[in-house]
Amino acid sequence: MAAADPLVEQEGETSSNSSQSSQCGDHVEVTIETISCPAPETDSPSRQPSPEDTLDGGRNHGKSTRLARALRAGLLRKNQDYVRIKIQRRGNRPSANPLPQEWWKTGVAFVYASACLVLTTGVITMVHERVPSQTPPLPDRFFDLFPHVPAAFTVTEINGMLLVGLFFLQLLFLKHRAIIFRRFFFLQGTLYLYRCLTMYLTILPVPGTHMSCAPKLNSDAQAKVYRMLKMMSGGGLSITGSHIMCGDYLYSGHTVMLTLTFLFIKEYSPRSMWWYHVICGLLGVVGGVCILLAHDHYSIDVVVAYFITSRIFYWYHTMANNPAMRGSPHNYLSWTWWNPIFNFLERNVCTTVPCTFAWPIPIPTSWLKNPCRRYSIVQSTREQ
Amino acid sequence: MKEVGQWSEEDVIDWLTEEGMQEYSEAFQQLDGPSLLRLSEKDFRGPPLSLVSGDNGRQLLDRLETLRIAHHMEAHKDIHHHHGKSHHANGHALGNGTAKLHHNGMPKNGFHSDQVHIKIPLPAPAPERFPAEWSKTGTAFLYAVCCFLTTSVVISVVHERVPPKEISPPLPDKFFDFFGRVEWAFSICEVNGMLLVFLWLMQWMLLKHRSIVGRRFFFIVGTLYLYRCVTMYITTLPVPGMHFRCAPKLSGRWEAQIHRIMKMIAGGGLTITGSHSMCGDYLYSGHTVMLTLTYLFIKEYSPKRFWVYHWVCWTLSAVGVFCILLAHDHYTVDVVVAYFITTRLFWWYHTLANQPVLKESSQGNLFSRVWWYRLFQHFEHNVQGTVPKSYQLPLPGRILPWVTVKYSKLETL
Repeated sequence: MAAADPLVEQEGETSSNSSQSSQCGDHVEVTIETISCPAPETDSPSRQPSPEDTLDGGRNHGKSTRLARALRAGLLRKNQDYVRIKIQRRGNRPSANPLPQEWWKTGVAFVYASACLVLTTGVITMVHERVPSQTPPLPDRFFDLFPHVPAAFTVTEINGMLLVGLFFLQLLFLKHRAIIFRRFFFLQGTLYLYRCLTMYLTILPVPGTHMSCAPKLNSDAQAKVYRMLKMMSGGGLSITGSHIMCGDYLYSGHTVMLTLTFLFIKEYSPRSMWWYHVICGLLGVVGGVCILLAHDHYSIDVVVAYFITSRIFYWYHTMANNPAMRGSPHNYLSWTWWNPIFNFLERNVCTTVPCTFAWPIPIPTSWLKNPCRRYSIVQSTREQ
Repeated sequence: MKEVGQWSEEDVIDWLTEEGMQEYSEAFQQLDGPSLLRLSEKDFRGPPLSLVSGDNGRQLLDRLETLRIAHHMEAHKDIHHHHGKSHHANGHALGNGTAKLHHNGMPKNGFHSDQVHIKIPLPAPAPERFPAEWSKTGTAFLYAVCCFLTTSVVISVVHERVPPKEISPPLPDKFFDFFGRVEWAFSICEVNGMLLVFLWLMQWMLLKHRSIVGRRFFFIVGTLYLYRCVTMYITTLPVPGMHFRCAPKLSGRWEAQIHRIMKMIAGGGLTITGSHSMCGDYLYSGHTVMLTLTYLFIKEYSPKRFWVYHWVCWTLSAVGVFCILLAHDHYTVDVVVAYFITTRLFWWYHTLANQPVLKESSQGNLFSRVWWYRLFQHFEHNVQGTVPKSYQLPLPGRILPWVTVKYSKLETL
């Protein structure tokens, strides 16, 4: 628990490695927090919204904390620079597992992703009503260079389904599948949430005259709900016939899935399987190019989707793999709105998730185990 | 250094001088080494030594004792050394000089002794934690200038491809549905932008580590404009409002296009200066980039207690961005994307710069896969740690005498 003196609970400037920034008149604030990750070189923030999360990123954490801080500042009649010293105390579980499964958190992430997908479907239905029908397709560099290839979108969708299938298969055999699943659901949900926003704000016209958009249902709510259900059941793919609505161009959900599954496949498989990575990479790239060849999305949709997917992936994993950074006030990666969710999901994960494989169902092969293995199991039970 | 037993009168005088007991030199003029060793306390009770000595010769006798011990050891060593040869049991060969005695000097803190060298290595001067490295700042500046030039060229190219308003009316936009157009709003946005840039420039000049911070600013702004070139070019959005008066298209006339580009650069791309008559540069908004980025830099590199200043800048920035939309000069998605990418790039760069663990490309550091990582490493390689917020007048020389600020961070160069 953070035992900070309320009188001096102010944001402060931590000079962790420079004494030049402390000056006369600095006030020192000491916060003591309990860390839950047992390894000495790692730390993670405590359960309470600790002050350092609101440090200077106040705009992302609500106005109430900022107001409270401003009030306190006014009360103290000082608003000087503070030096914060964090003292970390080990948690009470010294031998806890650094990579706990915590399937319930995966469940929460799954619910989040499903909610985002449902929201996306709703937004697509709404946007469909507003697509400008008279506007010709916008000028696009790729479309100028490459003409329309009708069957290309099928290729994209097949590649997408292959990649998703490969990823789930790989996930079945990974030991820490709960953690990885959780991350996948969270990232996918967030990306689709951002997509809702960009689709809704400004509506791009249809990229090609070949697209057959369903007729607009101006206020027929029931038919809209029916459309949404149809889309969800088909996964939003044209192959299944569920993607009859137009307007969801910026940015491309197909590219998001292709890129995200490829990044996850690459991240959680051994480096030595480079041929596997190359194949999946080719699947992804071909899928992306085929979207453009089919004139089903503008180039900007694909580029923005690739960019934002890869960046968020790198961001999340850098934060997760460097737990020592989590409490640091100079970690601006934690200033994003989804930082509390990240802390919730990854609080007890203290190290990089190693790429170890295990059978999905524990197979009783005790008679196959060699004595060395048995010895190691005995050792681990004794530790417990 | 000769052994005591062989000292002459001059040696005795020298020894006295070394020991700081020159007052005895006149009295000891006739004494040689062996006689010196024979001195005892009773000699100091009577004249002439009692007249010279202030402490009954205490100090001198103590020093003499040291000499005697050394002499004694020396004599023993000689005896043992010669024992095998001469079988003498000579005992203590004190004072007579008959024993064969070595040349062996006692280590003394005097000019007659052999000098003992004790080597103290000076600590190597610690490498400066925040080296200025103006050459790198120059590189970053060139990079930013190139990106600005590319942007101007791309705007000019894109202008040719914008579909006319009649054919492609403005796209449906949520903000435009709620708020009608306000004519003078874009001037507010540009005035705010110029104010923020000016404030940032003033603040930057007062920073102590201005070369490092300047490098960061140029790099980030250059990269943001480079990304903007890409997004503007690949898909061209139509004009967001029917009020737009776009310059006529010059298809293929290179000189006129170059002239237009120069005009835009000269005016900084602002509508106020009349340099921004070209259309098509919508995704994403450069004005939002500048407003957001200058605010982020102002906030980052100024003391936390200047919260009024931060609030003022935030208000300028927010009002500016709102006015862009109010003027129907950009689509909402342009502004949102610009805000998003500016803040993200700023946070990523500064986190990478402030965390030493992220300055190495490793498996845990996925940001090492971005295309600008090598450039980042080049710029930030020698910066050790977080750049502190210290301020310094940009003038060489002393602080002006009427500026008396206590406990400030002002330092002279």
